[in-house]
Amino acid sequence: MLDKKNIIKEGITFHQIETNKFKTNLFALFLAIPLEKDEVTKRALIPAVLRRGSKNYPTQELMSKTLEEMYGASFDCGIDKNGENQIIKFYIEGINEKFLPEKEKINEKCFDMLLEIVFQPKMEEGHFDPAYVESEKANLKNIISSKIDNKRKYALDRCIEEMYQDDAFGIYKYGYLEDVDPITTDDLTKAYQTLLQKAKIDIFVSGDQIGDLFEHIQNHPLIQNLEARKPEFRINQVIRKEKVSFSIKPKKVVEETMQVNQGNLIIGLDLGIEKEEEKEVANVYNAILGGGANSKLFQNVREKASLAYTAGSNYTKQKAVIFIRSGIEIQNYDQAVTIILKQIEDLKNGAFTEEDVENAKELLKASLRGIPEEQDSELTYYYGQELSGKETSLEEYLQKVELVTKQQVEDLAQRVCTNTIYFLRNEGNEGKEAKA
Amino acid sequence: MKIMESKKIQEKAYLEKLKNGLTIVIIPKQTTRKKYVIWGTHFGSIDNHFRMPGSGEEVFIPDGVAHFLEHKMFEQPNGTNSLDTLMALGVDANAYTTNDHTAYLFECTDHFEEALAELMDYVQHPYFTDENVEKEKGIIGQEIRMYDDDPGWQLYMNAMDCLYENNPIKIDIAGTVESISKIDKDVLYKCYQTFYHPSNMMMVLCGDFDPEKTLKMIESHLIEQPKQEEIQRFYPPKDEKIHKKEKVVSLEVSTPIFMIGILDPEEKENDSVKKHMAIEIALNILLGKSSPLYQKLYEEGNLSAQPDFDYEFSEQYAHILIASQSKNPRKVYEDFRHEVKKLQKNGITEEDFERCKKKLYGNYVTEYNNIDSIARMFLADWMKGNNSFEYIEGYDQITKEYVEEILKNKFQEDKMIISIVENTNENK
Repeated sequence: MLDKKNIIKEGITFHQIETNKFKTNLFALFLAIPLEKDEVTKRALIPAVLRRGSKNYPTQELMSKTLEEMYGASFDCGIDKNGENQIIKFYIEGINEKFLPEKEKINEKCFDMLLEIVFQPKMEEGHFDPAYVESEKANLKNIISSKIDNKRKYALDRCIEEMYQDDAFGIYKYGYLEDVDPITTDDLTKAYQTLLQKAKIDIFVSGDQIGDLFEHIQNHPLIQNLEARKPEFRINQVIRKEKVSFSIKPKKVVEETMQVNQGNLIIGLDLGIEKEEEKEVANVYNAILGGGANSKLFQNVREKASLAYTAGSNYTKQKAVIFIRSGIEIQNYDQAVTIILKQIEDLKNGAFTEEDVENAKELLKASLRGIPEEQDSELTYYYGQELSGKETSLEEYLQKVELVTKQQVEDLAQRVCTNTIYFLRNEGNEGKEAKA
Repeated sequence: MKIMESKKIQEKAYLEKLKNGLTIVIIPKQTTRKKYVIWGTHFGSIDNHFRMPGSGEEVFIPDGVAHFLEHKMFEQPNGTNSLDTLMALGVDANAYTTNDHTAYLFECTDHFEEALAELMDYVQHPYFTDENVEKEKGIIGQEIRMYDDDPGWQLYMNAMDCLYENNPIKIDIAGTVESISKIDKDVLYKCYQTFYHPSNMMMVLCGDFDPEKTLKMIESHLIEQPKQEEIQRFYPPKDEKIHKKEKVVSLEVSTPIFMIGILDPEEKENDSVKKHMAIEIALNILLGKSSPLYQKLYEEGNLSAQPDFDYEFSEQYAHILIASQSKNPRKVYEDFRHEVKKLQKNGITEEDFERCKKKLYGNYVTEYNNIDSIARMFLADWMKGNNSFEYIEGYDQITKEYVEEILKNKFQEDKMIISIVENTNENK
C-alpha cells in the first residue's frame, strides 16, 4: 500500500503518499460528515469564511501574499459529495523543494498554513468576523444560483435531485438558496465548532522525499487541541436488501424548460447489486453501456444514428447507480430515448460479446493504472478507500476487474431498473408542431 | 538528436527534424509508466484561404473545415474506426482543433507499439466518402449546439468579434450548422493534401520513452512522400485597431460574466516568450489575488474569484484576456482601466514584482506535473515558434523596468474592449 496511514487520534488519520512523479507536493485536509438538509448550507459556507482570514493571516491579501512568496503555493477549498456524506476539502499545493531556484524549506510552512486556515480562524469575541460571514453568504448564493450556468451539469444535478428526493444523496452539496439568508454569525460559528468535534478528519500529504511529517503534524498544537471522536460519517451500503427487478419503463419522467439550444437528456438506472464483487461487475457493465467510444451508447446514439455529440454513462459506486447522459436536438427526444433503452434491453438479452467485455475491462484497467499519474486522483483514490472502510490497493482492484466474466455482466443486466428520465429542453414546440 | 535541457526542473527534450520535414520531440520521464503521444499539424480554423503547393490552386474553404477533418480522420476504408480500435486496447485516444493547429493524441500504459502504429496509420490514410461526410454533420451539429449553450464560449467569441474586424480568429472553430452543410469530401481531401504533409507537422512524445529507439519506431511507420514546398496562406491584413468597444448579449446565466480584451497589434517579435511572461506579471500585479484592486472589488462583492488571465498570440493575432463573473462588469472594467493608468504613472513596487515573479515560477514548474500537459504545451508553443523550456529558463531575466515598459505599451485604453453575457431574466 502506497498510502502509509497513521492514526493521530480516534477519528483523525494522517496519510503519507510517497511518489516521485510530480514537481509538486500536495497537502490536503478533508472533513467528512453526513449530508443533512438542515445543516448542508451552513457547512458549505464554512470553508468560504475560513479562507477569508485566520488568526495570523487575518486578510485574504496577507494570505495570498504569503502563499505567493512560497513560489505560488496555491490554496484551494471546496465541497464534495461522497455517497451520503458531505466532504469539506482544503488543499495546498507547493513546489517540491528540489525544484526551487534557491534552497528554501516550504513543506512545513505549507502544512502549517493549511492547519492555520482550517483550525485557527479569525475570531472576534468568540465568533467569526460578521463582515466575512455576510460577504460569503452573498458569494454562496451566487454559487448555488450558478447551477444553471452549465446546462449539462445542471441536468445531471436535477436528475439526481428528482431520483433521490427522500435520500441524503439527493441533497445539493452547496445547500439551498432559501437557507442562506437566515444564517447568523452565531449559527455559523456553532456549526463550525460542531463540525470540528464530529467530522471524520483525514490529513494527506503526497510527494517525493517529504521526510517524516507525521511527527510534525502529531505534535502540532492545532492538532493536539482536537479531541478524539467517533465520526458519524456513513459508510455507503450498496448491497440492496430489496430485490431490484429489470424494468425499461421509468418510475418517473421529468421535463424542465430553460432557454437552451440543445436538449440535455439524463437517465438514471438503479442496479440491483447483491454481492460485494458485483460492484466491479457494475463497472464493466457501465463501460460496455457507455464507457467510451466503443460503447453501445456512443456507437448507436452517436455513430449510427448521428443524434448526438455526447453519449455515454457514468457509474456511481457509492449508490449503485448509472447516469446516462446525452445532448440531443430537442425534437429527437423520442428517437434518442428509444435507442438508449434498447441498449439496456440488449444487454439484458445478452446481445454483447466476450470481446465487448474484454474491451470494457481494458478501458477500466487503463483508467486504474492512470490514477497514480495524477497527484490529486491518487490522493482521492486513497481517501475513497478510507471512506468505504476498506483498503483495496490498486493492484487488488485491477485483479478484481480482471476476474469479471460475461456471465456475471449478463446476470447483473437482469437487475437494471430505469428509475428516472430527465429532459432539459427549451420552451418551443419543435417536434410537436411542424414549423413553416 | 539534439538535446534541449532545463536544469531548473531537471528535464530534457530530444529534438529531431527528419528528412521529410517532420519535427519530433521526445521528453523522456523515467518516473512514469505512462506514455503520451500527440501528432499535430499546423492547420487550424484561421487557415481558410491558401494556395495548394502542388497544383498551385487557390482555395477558399467554408468555416469549420479543419475541425470537420479532425472528426473524419478516424474512419477507415474497412469500416472500422481508429478511435474504437485504440479504445479497445485500453488506450485513451482523442483529437482536437484550435485556431492554429489540429492534434491527434493517445495515452497509454500498455500496448504502446500497437497504438503508435494505429495512430500513424490513420493520420496518414484519409478515407472520406459522401456518406461518411454527411453522417458527421448531425454529430458536429450537436457539438455546435453544445457550444451555443455554453456562456463562456459565447463570451469568448464575442470578445474576438470586438477585438478584430477581419481576422479569421473570430470564426468559430467548429463553424456553424450552415457553414458545415457546405463541406464535402473534395474540400476535405484538398485540405488534407495541403496541410497533412510531414513538413507541416510535429509529433511530441512524453513519458516512459527511450528517445533513440522510439525515433526509429516512428520512422518505420512513416510512408514515403514527395517533398512539399511551403504552403502559401492568405490572411487579411493585421487589424491595427479594435473592431468595437463592447458587445453585450443575454443568456440564461446566474450572474453576468465578462471578458476584457486588449489588442496587441504589434508584429510577433522574437522575444514573444519574454513579453508573455512580463504580461503575466503585470496582470498579477494589476488584478491578481494579492492586488489591492482585487481586494477592493472582492470586498464590494464585485468579484468572487481571481479573474482568469491569458495572452493568446500567433503570427496573425495577439491579445490579452481577463475574464470573470461579476454582478457589475462595467464597474470592474472601469476600475481596471483606472488601475492601469495609475500603475503606468507610478510604476510598480520591487516587492510586488519579486513576489509575482516567484508565483509565476511556481506556475511554470507545476505545468510539468503531467505528461499530457507537457506534451500539449510543447506542441502549442512550437506552433508559435517557441520552445517551452524558454519560459522556465528565462523567467529570472525579466526585470521590473521591462514589466513597466510592457504595462505602458501593451495596456492602452484605445485597444481595450469588453464582452459581457448578461442574465436574460433580469432584463425581462
